[in-house]
Amino acid sequence: MAEFNWRTLNIDALDPESSYNFDLATLTPAVQPVSTQDVQTLSGQIKQLMRAGQSEEALKGALENPPYGADEQGKNIHLSTVTEILQSIRQSEMTPILQRIYQSEGGSEVCDTLMKYIYKGMGQGGPAAAHSAGKNVTPQQTGFTQAGGRSFGGAEGGGQAMSVLLSWHEKLVEISGPGSIVRAMSDRRTV
Amino acid sequence: MASPEVHHLFHAPIADHSFSADRNTLAVTRANNVELYGKQGSQFRLQDELRGHDKLVTGVDIAPQSGRIVTCSQDRNAYVWEPSSTGEWKPTLVLLRINRAATCVRWCPNESKFAVGSGARIIAICYFEEENDWWVSKHLKKPLRSTVTSVTWHPNSVLLAAGSTDGHARVFSSFIKGADARPEPSAWGERLPFNTVCGEYLNGSAGWVHSVAFSPSGNALAFAAHDSSLTVVYPSAPEQPPSAVISISTQQLPFADLLWISESEIVCAGYDCEAFRFSGNEGGWQLTGSVEKANGGGKQGGQEHEESARNMFRAMDLRGRTGGNENTKLPTVHQNSINKIRAYAEAGGQVQKVSTAGVDGRVVVWNL
Amino acid sequence: MSQSLRPYLSCVRSTLTAALSLSNFASQASERHNVPEIEARTSPELILNPLTVSRNQEERVLIEPSVNSVRVSIRIKQADEIENILVHKFTRFLTQRAEPFFILRRKPIDGYDISFLITNFHTEEMLKHKLVDFIIQFMEDVDKEISEMKLFLNARARFVAESFLTPFD
Repeated sequence: MAEFNWRTLNIDALDPESSYNFDLATLTPAVQPVSTQDVQTLSGQIKQLMRAGQSEEALKGALENPPYGADEQGKNIHLSTVTEILQSIRQSEMTPILQRIYQSEGGSEVCDTLMKYIYKGMGQGGPAAAHSAGKNVTPQQTGFTQAGGRSFGGAEGGGQAMSVLLSWHEKLVEISGPGSIVRAMSDRRTV
Repeated sequence: MASPEVHHLFHAPIADHSFSADRNTLAVTRANNVELYGKQGSQFRLQDELRGHDKLVTGVDIAPQSGRIVTCSQDRNAYVWEPSSTGEWKPTLVLLRINRAATCVRWCPNESKFAVGSGARIIAICYFEEENDWWVSKHLKKPLRSTVTSVTWHPNSVLLAAGSTDGHARVFSSFIKGADARPEPSAWGERLPFNTVCGEYLNGSAGWVHSVAFSPSGNALAFAAHDSSLTVVYPSAPEQPPSAVISISTQQLPFADLLWISESEIVCAGYDCEAFRFSGNEGGWQLTGSVEKANGGGKQGGQEHEESARNMFRAMDLRGRTGGNENTKLPTVHQNSINKIRAYAEAGGQVQKVSTAGVDGRVVVWNL
Repeated sequence: MSQSLRPYLSCVRSTLTAALSLSNFASQASERHNVPEIEARTSPELILNPLTVSRNQEERVLIEPSVNSVRVSIRIKQADEIENILVHKFTRFLTQRAEPFFILRRKPIDGYDISFLITNFHTEEMLKHKLVDFIIQFMEDVDKEISEMKLFLNARARFVAESFLTPFD
C-alpha cells in the first residue's frame, strides 16, 4: 500500500451521494433478468421461422422480445440471430417490410430496437478487438505505435456484412426518422 | 394565414424569454445579462439591460400582474428586479442556498412565490419574508437525482412539476405554511405538506426530461424528453397509479419545450428548429403537423437555386446527401434549435399565438 | 467512388445530426464550471450510449454523445504500411494545429486516427448542418488525400531510385 498513488484517487467515487455514483438502473426499472438458456431457446424458434422462409415474422419475433435483461453472452446470441435474419432479406424487400412493421401496433418501438441492433452490429469486431489480436503477432517494428494494431490486407474484411447493415440503416431512417437514432442513443435498455 | 412575426434580436443564443402582460416589453437572456426590449411599431428596440449576473443567465420570467422580473443564472444566484422611482431596475438578491448552477425559474400563478431549478439536485421555492424584507427559499430535495431542467406551476400555485436529467418528471407540493392558502383537493393529492411527492413518472426509454407542463385545468401533465417523445399523464386519484400514461415516440429530433394551447392540444419545439402540434385526449395523442407549414412557411423552398443534375448526383455520391443544395440557410424560420416556447395571446382558454426563442437569437410569434 | 461509401457517409450524417442535439449544461460536479461532459465523465446519466458506424473492419466512426458535447472519432482507411505512416503524419500535422480548427481534439481516442470534440458552444456559433458537412467532407477528402500522397510518394521514390542508380550505368 505504500506506493499507492493518492493523487489519482477519485474521491467522488467514494461518496455515495455524489453525481458520479448515479445509479443507471433507476432508468430501467422494467428490465427483467433473462437467462442465456431462454435466449438460446428463443433464437432456435426464430431460426426455425427463418428456415421456413418467413423472414418478416422471424424479424418481428426477434425484435419484439429483445433480451434487455440478459448478460453479455445472451445479448450476443440474440445479436447474431438478428444479423442473420437481416442478411437473409433481399435489398428490394427491406423498405416494404419496414413499412409494414412501422405501421403495425407498437411498430415504432420495434423499429427503435432494430436501430439498436444495427448500431450494435456495426460496433462488433471493433478496433479494440483488432488491437489485442494484433499485439501478439506484430511481425515487424515500424517505429509507429499505431502500426501494431493494424491488420493490413484484411482491410475489406467484414465489408459485406457492414454494407448490409448500412443499407438497412438507410432504409430505416427514411421510415422512422432521426427520432429512432436519438432513442438508440438515449435508451439505457441496451441490446 | 398571416405569416409569423420574426424579431431577429442578435446573434447569440436566447436561453429564455418572457413578455410583459401587455406584450409591449420583451425580456430576453443574452450571455450574462438580460436585455429588455420595448415595442415600437412592429419592431422591438433595446431599452434597458439588467446587469448583475456573472455567468450565463439561464432563466427569466416577468410576473404578469406585478411586473417584477426574476432572473437566474449559472452563477448560482437569482435576482428579483423591481422598477424604482427613477425608472431604473433595482435587483434584490434571493437567498437560494444552492451550490451549483440555477437552470430555470418560474413565477407561480398568484405571484407570491417562484421556483428555481438547479444543478445541485434541488428546487428552491422562494417567497418574500416581510419581517426580514428579503426573498428566502425552502428546498425541495428528495427524490431528485440529477440536474433539474425545467419547473412549471399548477394553476393552484401549490403544486409544482419538475423535469430532470434523471429521466423523471415529478409533481411536488410546495405548500408553505403562512404564505399559501390550503389548496382544494385534486387528483394529485388531498393533504399536501411541503415536499410531498404527488407523482413520479418515467417513460420507457427514459431520456432526459427537457420540459414539463400542466394542462390549463391542471388535471394532466405533459413532458418532453430527449428520446424525442412526448408523454402525457392523467392522474386518477391521490396515491393511485395514473389512469392513463400516453407516450408517443416521434420521428423528429428531441423537443426542448412544450406548451399546452388548450386541454386537448400541445405545441412542442426543439432541435428540429420548428414547432409541432399534437392533439389528443385520455384515449391517445398524435402529432397533427408543423406550425410552420400552417403559417405559410416553406416559402423559402421556392428560392432554392437551381442546380445541375451533375452537381446533385455528385453531392449524393460524395456526401451521402440527397438534397444537394449548398445553401447555408435552413428552410425553417429559426436557424438553430428552439429553446423556449411561451403563450403570447389567448382567448377563451385557447392559446391563439405562441412565441418561440432559439439559439439563433430570434424571437418569433406564431399564429396557431 | 466505391459503392459502399454513400450509405456509409449518409449513416454518419444522420447519426451525427441526431447526436448534435446539445444544450448549455453547467457541471453538476464542480461549482461554477461548464465542462464537456463527454470528457469529464462526472455523471453517468449525462452520457448517452456511444454509437459506431463502420464500413468494414478498418474504416469506422465512433460517435459518443453527451448532454453538452459529442466526441467523433474516425478510423481512416489504411491498406498498407505506407498509408499507415502517411495517415499518422497527416493527422499529427493537423492535431498540432488544432486551435484554428475549433472542433479538432488534440489527441485521438485509442484505436482511432483522429478525433473531434463538438460542444454546445460550437453548435451555437456555427450552423449545425455545416458542422456535419465539415466532418463528412473531411472523411471523404482524407481518403483522397492519402491515396494522392501515396502515389506522389511512389513517383518520387521511383525518380530517386532512378537517379541514384544512374552513375552506375
